[in-house]
Amino acid sequence: MLGGAENDTYTLLDNIILQIRLPRVLLAILIGASLAVSGAAFQAMFVNPLVSPGILGVLAGASFGAALGMLLSEQWYVVQALAFLFGFVAVGVAVLIGGMVSNSRSTIMLVLGGVISGSLFTALLSVIKYVADPYSTLPAIVYWLMGSLTMGDLHGVLLVSIPMILSILGMIALSKYFDLLSLGDEEAKALGVNVPLIRFLAILLATLASSLSVVMAGMIGWVGLIIPHIIRMAVGPSHRLLIPLSAIVGAIFLLLADTISRLALSVEIPIGILTSLIGIPVFIIVLKNARAAWN
Amino acid sequence: MELKNIITVNDLHFSYPKHSVLNGIVFNLNRGEVVSLLGPNGCGKSTLIRLILKLIQPHQGEIWLENKTLHRYSHREIAKHIAYIPQYNNVPFNYSVLEMVMMGRVAKHGFFAAPSVKDAEVAHESLRRIGIDDLASRPFGHLSGGQKQMVLLARALTQEVNTFIMDEPVSGLDYGNQIRLLELISDLANQGYTFLKTTHYPDHALMVSSRVVVMNEGRIIANGLPEEVITSSMIREVYGIEADLITHNTRTWCIPSSTKGIR
Repeated sequence: MLGGAENDTYTLLDNIILQIRLPRVLLAILIGASLAVSGAAFQAMFVNPLVSPGILGVLAGASFGAALGMLLSEQWYVVQALAFLFGFVAVGVAVLIGGMVSNSRSTIMLVLGGVISGSLFTALLSVIKYVADPYSTLPAIVYWLMGSLTMGDLHGVLLVSIPMILSILGMIALSKYFDLLSLGDEEAKALGVNVPLIRFLAILLATLASSLSVVMAGMIGWVGLIIPHIIRMAVGPSHRLLIPLSAIVGAIFLLLADTISRLALSVEIPIGILTSLIGIPVFIIVLKNARAAWN
Repeated sequence: MELKNIITVNDLHFSYPKHSVLNGIVFNLNRGEVVSLLGPNGCGKSTLIRLILKLIQPHQGEIWLENKTLHRYSHREIAKHIAYIPQYNNVPFNYSVLEMVMMGRVAKHGFFAAPSVKDAEVAHESLRRIGIDDLASRPFGHLSGGQKQMVLLARALTQEVNTFIMDEPVSGLDYGNQIRLLELISDLANQGYTFLKTTHYPDHALMVSSRVVVMNEGRIIANGLPEEVITSSMIREVYGIEADLITHNTRTWCIPSSTKGIR
């Protein structure tokens, strides 16, 4: 009898730690690192420190895909599959538009394509919200868009961890090229860099990592923008340090933010709201300091 | 054996949708030369340089780099033959001078290889040769225009190539730095490096060139020794102003003959 009760306690503990806490901690680490590294990579590629991982529309596309999934199906895997798919579709649209309006393949045109694609999928998301059932589906979509680390089970987290870790490692491996891309395309080419290849790999890896983060936890903003800034202020702009340190600090940042979101109030604050609330004041301070560094 | 011809350009044409820029350029750069490309704004000097670096593609004609046509080279292979020194521009990321110079080594590495101790040594040595080793740890963005140009020259040295292409090397520099940079170019030329540089200044072409190529409206209109090419009639034709050429202490200077001025 007593042994049975102990077993139940262990089973319960096991459930709490392995099935609830552990996947959540792993997700925070993976997503924090993914977003920070993707942000740093895009900032180098677009030669602009104000760029975030969503610049090519991946977050808008993945959000639309997830909302579409919630509209069409009760199955969680449909939602995740559509989020992943439309993250890539949105970036594909951005790259196509960027290439269509100009054959010079300049990054300005790519940004323009991203703005158009992002707006398109944000509009389509609004359409889904408008037609969604206001008592069940709409709240689910809205809550999901606030970002949450509570949705992953251990199996799913371990599954996405493989491509996420590979994309992060891939971007770390490309880090020396990010230094050169940030000098501008022509200078990078003249120094011997295969710019189209590096740019393609960077977009592919950052899109993979970012869309998987939306798949697992919805919209979590600001991490990809502020973490690279903070690292750059601390250790300088060289990407061979910046990219791996962004991964580490991004992971720690989101883990801390998640802990605060669980503990600060009696109800849990959605993590996406919290990262914005922390991110905005941090960013203002960073901008104030960064202005001096740019000039 | 090293080929005498480094770059050979045959009947090169390039145009933008609304206007043509280059109309049948024939040009060559030989080992050991210092060639100045002279011509007014929009004559096609920078376009020619960008074509030679394969940054843009010609519409007609071909470019040879040593014994192969340019389209058979990757950017990485070109960077192992030619170092490009652009006009310095500001990057929003403030790399240190050493980081900036070490970027010249990228074509020497394997795809995933990290910069090595040797790369850092080469970078320091290049900075020493230009005489700015003391700047190594300074942020590039905080340097003066002249210092930035020197850093880019040091970066070109780390590529360990014999041919340098410079686009308006003295633009934006003060008078002293302009002369210092020209002296640096002639020092390097005396050590055996080959230079192709664009310039707006006939005086600079007269001062540091073994050959001058004059371009106007997408064509080469003169090509030869500096004193033979830079004449009053050429200045009149290309720039639309009157100028005299005056020889003093074996050196020739170009002086505008306009009498206007404020005293």
